[in-house]
Amino acid sequence: MPAVIEAEDLTRSFPSGVALDGLSLSVDRGEVLALLGPNGAGKTTTVRLLNGILRADRGRATVLGLDPAVDGDGVRRRTGVLTEHAGLDERLTARENLELTARMRGIDRTVAARRTTDLLERFGMADRADLPVQGTSTGQRKRLALARALLHDPDVLFLDEPTSGLDPAATRDVVELIGALASEHGRTVVLCTHFLGEAGRLADRMAVLHRGVLHAFGRPEDIAADLWDGLDARLDVGGQLGEDAARAVLGLPGVAGVAPLPEGAMVRVADREVLPVVVRTLVEAGVPVYGADARPPSLEDVYFAVEARIAATEGREVTPRAADLLGHRDGGW
Amino acid sequence: MVTPEPLADRRARWAVMRAIVAKDLIAVRRAKAVVIPMLAVPILLMVLLPFGVGLAARSQQNPDVGRILGSMPGDLAEPILSLPDHEQLIVLVNGYLLAPLFLIVPLMVSAVLAADAFAGEKERKTLESLLHLPIPERDLFLAKLASAFIPAIAVSWIGFAAFCLVANGVAWPVMHRVFVPTQLWMVMIFWVGPAVATLGLAVMVRVSARTKTAQEANQLGGAVILPLIFLSVGQSSGLLLVTLPIALGIGAAVWVIALLLVRGGLKRFTRDQLAARV
Repeated sequence: MPAVIEAEDLTRSFPSGVALDGLSLSVDRGEVLALLGPNGAGKTTTVRLLNGILRADRGRATVLGLDPAVDGDGVRRRTGVLTEHAGLDERLTARENLELTARMRGIDRTVAARRTTDLLERFGMADRADLPVQGTSTGQRKRLALARALLHDPDVLFLDEPTSGLDPAATRDVVELIGALASEHGRTVVLCTHFLGEAGRLADRMAVLHRGVLHAFGRPEDIAADLWDGLDARLDVGGQLGEDAARAVLGLPGVAGVAPLPEGAMVRVADREVLPVVVRTLVEAGVPVYGADARPPSLEDVYFAVEARIAATEGREVTPRAADLLGHRDGGW
Repeated sequence: MVTPEPLADRRARWAVMRAIVAKDLIAVRRAKAVVIPMLAVPILLMVLLPFGVGLAARSQQNPDVGRILGSMPGDLAEPILSLPDHEQLIVLVNGYLLAPLFLIVPLMVSAVLAADAFAGEKERKTLESLLHLPIPERDLFLAKLASAFIPAIAVSWIGFAAFCLVANGVAWPVMHRVFVPTQLWMVMIFWVGPAVATLGLAVMVRVSARTKTAQEANQLGGAVILPLIFLSVGQSSGLLLVTLPIALGIGAAVWVIALLLVRGGLKRFTRDQLAARV
């Protein structure tokens, strides 16, 4: 699949410090990339550099084959951006915000009006179309801003914190909308967020930034393979696994470790194929197995493990969640 | 070799700039905090004040304006002294002394709106989404200038029309003729006024791009605008007493300075500079 976005050694500093330091990554057509990291990680700077509103101090990028530093307007004609703050003019109505943005994008007045009406319908804002944005909720503003980003049917969408400030129901709505948008016409989506749930649901690949440096980039399972050997499988035997049974399981080929759990044990297996052998061994030993679940680590697990690795490198205290993950997988067998 | 821009492209760019101006004008129209002072000050200066002054001047019996006229340099007072005695006060006040107000209004309105051009967008958190649109930097800068220039000139010209009606109306019982606008008034309103407005907004848009809030822009820009206002006030009455070519020349000089400032602003204006401050 051809890369739609490519960045090589992208670097940008501000008087306050380095915002992005040597970022190299690529995003394929139709892919959803989650740019993850805490505040100040460099996510927004990455979007601004890729969309050509900031210039890189070093390195280069191409978006849809165009260099944003050279042909920024060319790039921006084919990208849509949802900024962290919805960026709608509160004094204008929802319709005016969309229609005037379409015209500012060079879309003909009649087409702009039609496209606005269609998008307001699609995003469930038709009933508020002619009311000032001032009275709308944060969720409605995000939906409007998303609609605005789609006025010109862009090939690439940059979404910067699309669910920040939303309540759970509005978050679910927006995540569903983004999921639908990402699956349309092979559209490429770069999703900047520090909410891991939405990233986990939507992203094909993830990039973890911390203080402007890229610490991990790839599919969650590939990053997980670098972090840990094998898969964790949760066994439910209706109570803590006995020592003899645990020793029998540990002796099986493809089993790297066993750790007790209140309802059974966590078993590290080389791959999924080992799990039926583990179950059969336990059943033959007279241990009832009520459930066996071998799941690859989630994006959230991977993110916190990467964060923990960064913290360890920097000599910082590891967050309880990250410590739990690392301990669970690396040290608790 | 420079290839001329195709007409269709030029039209499309104009349409985009018109959309930016339309958006800003709608927003200004709905902002009471901007509209009320923007209309109240011109109504006070261009309608109520000439009306009151005209009434007062009209009621004076044989007013002695010789002392004021005598303090004017050289033969500048000559056009007024040549008028009948009962016309001198009303012409002096409504025809000359109120002239400074007509340069203050476009300067003030353009400065207030220009301060909001970028700093206001930053404050309302709408600047970043504007920067993410495919609008050439030059067009964005010029559209923002136009967004401040158009209302300033509209208020100034409409105000002037109202002033002419009021000044002539209130003076009719004394003058029995239309005495404003004169040719020099026309030069000041249609030539010098727009130049002064451009000068003010060229300064303010540049300040606005560098500050975080419109209030900050107003405070910083005020340091430049206030001396300009004092200069305008000081010079504009005199402008109505000079010859037509000199008035045109003064206007041209202001235009040159204003356009040089605009050109300088265009050269220095970049998305990067704005985005780095968002």
